[in-house]
Amino acid sequence: MSSARPPKYPVGLGDQFRRNLGLYTAGTAFLAAQQFLMARRDFLVRDAVNAAEASLADAAVQDAVLILVVSVSAFVVRVASRWTMFTSGRNVEYELRAALLDHLHKLGPAFFRKMPTGDIMSRSTSDLQQVRLLLGFGILNVVNAVLAFGSAIFVMLSNSVRLTLASFITFPILMLVTRSFSTRMFTHMRQNQEALGKMSDRVLASLAGVRVVRSFALEETERATFGVANDDYVQKSLLLARVRGSMQPIMGSVLTVGTLVVFFYGGYLVFHHEMSKGSFLSFYLALGRLIWPMLAIGFVTSIVQRGRASYSRLRQIFDAVPEVVDGPLPTPSAMKGGLRVENLSFAYGERKVLDGVSFHVPAGTSVAILGRTGSGKSTVATLLPRLLPTPKGSIFLDDQDVCELPVDTVRRAIGYAQQDAFLFSTTVAQNIGYVLDDADSAEGMAKIRMAAVEAGVLEEIEGLPDGFDTVVGERGVQLSGGQRQRIALARALLREPKVLVLDDPLSAVDAKTESAILGAIERQAAKCTLVLITHRVSAAKRCDRIVVLERGQVIEEGTHEELVQKGGVYASFAEEQEIEAKLAAFGAEDIAPTMMEAQVA
Amino acid sequence: MTTTERTSEKKASAQPGKTRAEKALAKFHEEDGPREGYDLGMLKALWPFMRPHSKPVVLSLGLLLINSAFSVLAPLVTREAFNALDLPGGFNTFASYGALLLGLNIVEQSLAFPQLYLMQLAGARAMGDLRAHVFQFLHTRKLSFFDRTPVGRLVTRVTNDVDAINEVFASGAFNAIGDLVKLVGIVVAMLLLDWRLALIAFVALPPVALLVNWTRKRLRDAFRRIRSTTARMNAYLNEQISGMAVVQAYAREEKAAAEFDQINDAYRKANNQSIVFDATLDAAIELVNTLCIATMLWYFGGRAVQSHVSFGTLLAFVQYIDKFFVPIRDLSSRFTQLQSAMAGAERIFQLFDNTEEDAPIVKEAAPVDASDVAFELEHVSFEYKPNVPILKDVSIRAKRGEKIALVGATGAGKTTVASILLRLYEVKEGVVKIFGRDIQATPRDELRRNFAVVPQEVFLFPGTVASNIAAGDNKTDIERVKRALERIGALDLFERREGGLDAKVEERGSNFSAGERQLIAFARALYRDPPILVLDEATANIDSDTEARLQSAVWAAMQGRSALIIAHRLSTIRAVDRIVVFHKGRVVEQGSHEVLLAQGGAYARLYQLQFGRNSQTNVAAE
Repeated sequence: MSSARPPKYPVGLGDQFRRNLGLYTAGTAFLAAQQFLMARRDFLVRDAVNAAEASLADAAVQDAVLILVVSVSAFVVRVASRWTMFTSGRNVEYELRAALLDHLHKLGPAFFRKMPTGDIMSRSTSDLQQVRLLLGFGILNVVNAVLAFGSAIFVMLSNSVRLTLASFITFPILMLVTRSFSTRMFTHMRQNQEALGKMSDRVLASLAGVRVVRSFALEETERATFGVANDDYVQKSLLLARVRGSMQPIMGSVLTVGTLVVFFYGGYLVFHHEMSKGSFLSFYLALGRLIWPMLAIGFVTSIVQRGRASYSRLRQIFDAVPEVVDGPLPTPSAMKGGLRVENLSFAYGERKVLDGVSFHVPAGTSVAILGRTGSGKSTVATLLPRLLPTPKGSIFLDDQDVCELPVDTVRRAIGYAQQDAFLFSTTVAQNIGYVLDDADSAEGMAKIRMAAVEAGVLEEIEGLPDGFDTVVGERGVQLSGGQRQRIALARALLREPKVLVLDDPLSAVDAKTESAILGAIERQAAKCTLVLITHRVSAAKRCDRIVVLERGQVIEEGTHEELVQKGGVYASFAEEQEIEAKLAAFGAEDIAPTMMEAQVA
Repeated sequence: MTTTERTSEKKASAQPGKTRAEKALAKFHEEDGPREGYDLGMLKALWPFMRPHSKPVVLSLGLLLINSAFSVLAPLVTREAFNALDLPGGFNTFASYGALLLGLNIVEQSLAFPQLYLMQLAGARAMGDLRAHVFQFLHTRKLSFFDRTPVGRLVTRVTNDVDAINEVFASGAFNAIGDLVKLVGIVVAMLLLDWRLALIAFVALPPVALLVNWTRKRLRDAFRRIRSTTARMNAYLNEQISGMAVVQAYAREEKAAAEFDQINDAYRKANNQSIVFDATLDAAIELVNTLCIATMLWYFGGRAVQSHVSFGTLLAFVQYIDKFFVPIRDLSSRFTQLQSAMAGAERIFQLFDNTEEDAPIVKEAAPVDASDVAFELEHVSFEYKPNVPILKDVSIRAKRGEKIALVGATGAGKTTVASILLRLYEVKEGVVKIFGRDIQATPRDELRRNFAVVPQEVFLFPGTVASNIAAGDNKTDIERVKRALERIGALDLFERREGGLDAKVEERGSNFSAGERQLIAFARALYRDPPILVLDEATANIDSDTEARLQSAVWAAMQGRSALIIAHRLSTIRAVDRIVVFHKGRVVEQGSHEVLLAQGGAYARLYQLQFGRNSQTNVAAE
């Protein structure tokens, strides 16, 4: 627990139980002690009352003092029992949660497509909570119930066998009622949560799409749609309220009936001197101790049910097989950063996206992979660092199959920066210095600044309210799109990998961002092996070689000049984009003064 | 990484607020944090929402008082019953008291349900109203308000903050009033029964009350810590999952695991603390029971000899002590709920202070000259930020059925023109008229129903393809949806997809490509069939198949209506009646293709470019 990197934790429930066996044993011992002391108390009460009734004042007072001692001890062991038992539940939760993230880190996009974020989150919160309840609250109450029954029934039987039997009448009902209520409560709580989730999604969509809502004057419709979700939530909470509200009176009634049975029959016995008053009070106290364990048994049966269902949902994550695993070879001592792609084919399920792609990138050179949307160029980029299950024998780093190397080594050597600039909700400095272990040191800050300069974003960062310490907000909402993109680029540049893979760094950027990024790309190309994924000729032509992809196949390859000369697909791309660029800049160029005059006239 | 390194790393970041980033984060979240405190003004502000539902509240409070009285009465009856046992022939009396007790209990239990339920009914309905009001309020704010406020924060106002207030009703925090009555009743009853025994019983109270109070405070702090660590933990986990691609690409799994371990451990520690305090609180209640009984027995032992205290009184006292501590234990959680409700209410009412209403009518409606001008900008100037003019003295006029293209560099103000037509933002100077009517004299719904907008970045609502196309209709007219798609030539494309027109749209339409999203937006415009189309052509990288479809969609969507098009493709530009050339917020050229060509200005040069290209492609084709 003292090392920063948590060790691997077992995820089996049995294993987890065994890991906390010491705590469970101690907890059981405490519970036994508590129940023993409580039984002592009940007997002492009987003796004290009987002594008082028999006018033995000294004995009564002595018993009262003993009760004091016993109850303080009972207090201590009770706290200790909760502490040990619940702590083990928390330990299980802690270890399973750590193991969960650990396992998630190993899974690839295929898994995350199947299981959306919200789903994973609900498993890691509410399902994990159910498992914790099972292994903490559940076990405590089972053990406690067994011991409490033993101790209380012993007291009750010693006071009156007949009254004990009579008091049992309502027990089964109570247990069943609790069980059915706790199951129903859980169902309604879940429905309530779902209704809340739906309503909140609706609000989010409506506010995020506020521009459309305004433009189409959809306010009325939106209000109606929200109204439905809102009403549904109100209804669901009232349903829950009904179950919650009826639980108390029904259980209260059953309890009351039980108590009254004991009172009537007990009173009868006392009246006929078949039971002493002291015995009656002692019996009453013992019975009182049984109420909670009785209810708890009802809760626990439903907790067991839910805990098992929840655990199986967690298991679905734990059992997901990582597609990308470490290769058998050790990390090479030195790497040059040469890249070779040979006959690479890849399919997402049925859909084939890459078909026999081959190209070479000698160490220190740069290559651009160019193609339209859907040509498969981004897939190539993700396969290089094995962020997808790269097929064996198709990608070689310094002539070694990347599948033969440890995953970490490959990903450190081949630095991949994705298209959508995902930023973490921390400071700008922390985002740029993402790979630094100590981003706060002077050395770290110097690197961060350098990277910001490289990505052409330094000036803007310094213009932010808190400069590098500005918090970017969730996914970087506090920044503009162009700022996000360049900060993400700075993060990639700071890494200084042997091979830098930039996936479409020019998608949706303004002119300023574009020129900054193009400059950075050129400088990087001089420093390391560079793979640039792009649909922009203006970016591609800065690379040593260009590979043109279409429908998953390489259709052209060569330098910018060669390909333009050839007059193929690349050449038409180049021309098309040149015109588009002029069109976008149209009017931005300085217009001749004569024309302005003509316009005014 | 070696073990020592790991340890030192953990140490460095385990101290909160030590590093720069942590300080900045702490500051950032503090601004978000709720202020805790009480304010009666808040209750007053809530009253309008409560008033329509005040009947059940009053009824519930009445029942609560009755119930509290009953629960104080019950032990008294018990006492009488058991005292009767000592009298000759007392068993009959005992039995009849027993029957009374049964009756009391039945009434008490059967009143409990309506009491709890009525309160929740009122709360849930009032909060439903409040939620609807907040939602409506947000939709009548100016668009610029949304430009500077993160959406997540606004969603929180509608959901979490309202729920925090509702929790007061749902958890029965109002029962605190009943509890108070109960406590007073119990004390009075005990004093009346036997004031000496009562005082003796109370002797045990102060030390335990101190213990309970001490624990209660610790528990409250612990709960606060749990809440904040839970939030941190979930946020971290959520971010790890949604940013998984980055974590893996940068091989930061171990670092992330270490960071998470700190949060996870802090969470466990906070919970473990609460376990101890929670257990102490529960055990303290049990302890005080026994302590009271013990002291009473000690006294009873001495007094009973002189027959001053009856067994029945002792029994009643035991029951009273039982009832006495439960409300005291609950008090702390009710206190916390009330606090967070106040904080929620404060945030909501702060929002209500915003006075930027969207598109209010500020002018008298001038008589409409049944003009054949579809839309018109007269000497319009506009700025988002003071002294940063975006549009300068812009005048554009489009006749009914006329199609106008805006061309110019990015940032020249083209998109702003579209926003201003719909009055999403207010002009600084000048007049905008739609069908001859000043937009500042037109109700916003009426104004905006004249338009269909196809934006560059299409936003899709959760629902289906069909429901998105039929946006604005509560009931989707599927035939009309099909016709709309057919007219832009995309029906086959969407019908071919899994699920067809009923295919689910995932969050923000992430399961559709940019091109497909744009096609849906075109269909949405056609479904609506308004007199004016506003189109901001996509510049995004779109595959060639979709590109061709989009071009025909533009054509189809323009037919039979006026159109304002922010054009990026020459094919579109050539299809319009008039071209308006923008430069730095000003209109520099305006006229038909032929006129502009003849003028030999900027547009003419652009056309040459296009012409040159066409001839080249033709050569290549031959």
